[in-house]
Amino acid sequence: MIFDTRPKMPVTIAQTGESYPCATDESLLKGMCKLGRRGIPVGCVSGGCGVCKVRIVEGQVTPLGPVSRAHVSAEEERAGFTLACRVAPATAVRLEVAGKFEKPFSKGFAATADRVSP
Amino acid sequence: MGVMRIGHASLRVMDMAAAVKHYENVLGLKTTMQDKAGNVYLKCWDEWDKYSLVLTPSDRAGLNHVAYKVEKDEDLDALQKRIEAWGVKTTMLPEGALPSTGRMLQFNLPSGHEMRLYAMKEYVGTEVGTQNPDPWPDGLKGAGAHWLDHLLLMCELNPETGVNTVADNTRFMKEALDFFLTEQVMVGPGGAIQAATWMSRTTTPHDIAFVGGPKSGLHHIAFYLDSWHDVLKAADVMAKNRVRIDVAPTRHGITRGETIYFFDPSGNRNETFAGLGYLAQRDRPVTTWTEDRLGSGIFYHTGDLVPSFTDVYT
Repeated sequence: MIFDTRPKMPVTIAQTGESYPCATDESLLKGMCKLGRRGIPVGCVSGGCGVCKVRIVEGQVTPLGPVSRAHVSAEEERAGFTLACRVAPATAVRLEVAGKFEKPFSKGFAATADRVSP
Repeated sequence: MGVMRIGHASLRVMDMAAAVKHYENVLGLKTTMQDKAGNVYLKCWDEWDKYSLVLTPSDRAGLNHVAYKVEKDEDLDALQKRIEAWGVKTTMLPEGALPSTGRMLQFNLPSGHEMRLYAMKEYVGTEVGTQNPDPWPDGLKGAGAHWLDHLLLMCELNPETGVNTVADNTRFMKEALDFFLTEQVMVGPGGAIQAATWMSRTTTPHDIAFVGGPKSGLHHIAFYLDSWHDVLKAADVMAKNRVRIDVAPTRHGITRGETIYFFDPSGNRNETFAGLGYLAQRDRPVTTWTEDRLGSGIFYHTGDLVPSFTDVYT
């Protein structure tokens, strides 16, 4: 952002190779949203819904608030999983998107759609 | 007469101080009580019972239980028999299981959500009183919500395995608790699958709603506002308080409600809405929304589904 002079770190999404600068006092998710970029699913942006679950592959992050245990277990946390809305980059970060939207009405319907699509 | 209205929702929050600040400063509720376990009880200015929202400290977001108030204490015994006869197990929690609250009939909906019924909660009065009241009190904070109005539960639905807890809940609420259906979404081949329902006990389009999803959870709790202008002002309050807005002010086709959706600091979705839509009555014909027009049912103006709204819940 032109008028945003805060110190930033590059954040790279492993699956797409896309990269964006994120301020060191802002969450990985907010930083992405502010630039109008996509790649990490955006849900409640408050640590509760779990759709922005990521695994930090490289780099260090600073926690910003509580992460729902319903979506990131203690074991997963040790393996580098967290929610992108709850951590800010302390260094350059490379992450893997782990969360996904689960469509309502979808189970069964989506499978059917997959079968008939070319 | 059985169930009167929604009484309270008990929510899990991950940061109590942030949650209380949100419900007080953004919604305009006031804290009325705290218990030794660290639970915080709040109410809106236009409500007369002691609390309509319970916040409980947790490591995750979501709904603990929702409670509806019945008219008479003996209704609890009558409803216990009907609920058990329907095939749902119940437990009668003694008076004081929740502070300032009488005995509670506890059970789980077919979708797994915990529901409670109670007849008594300590009366504290509205903020304008009962004698020559002003239309609204001074010193309201934030959106100044009138009351907790309804909630929407996400219910497990999987047509491939034949699981449809939306339809199960709807049947249960009608047969055991005398709720009536106001609107429904019918999907799948021939529109045979009841994928979402809106049900009432009062005269508003919904006192509870069920929507099918991959797993059961809480979609939102909703608070009532007077007018479309109050909905706009509520959005201003949210911007001021840096609240994550999910859906900016718009109108639902379903219920005709004027609405805004946003998240509390733990990611539990809130709604403030205005417009009673229509007078819900037992003999009013049921409104049906089809799969191809579902987008308009949800957001009437654009007709587009918003992934963060339809797919995200706690």
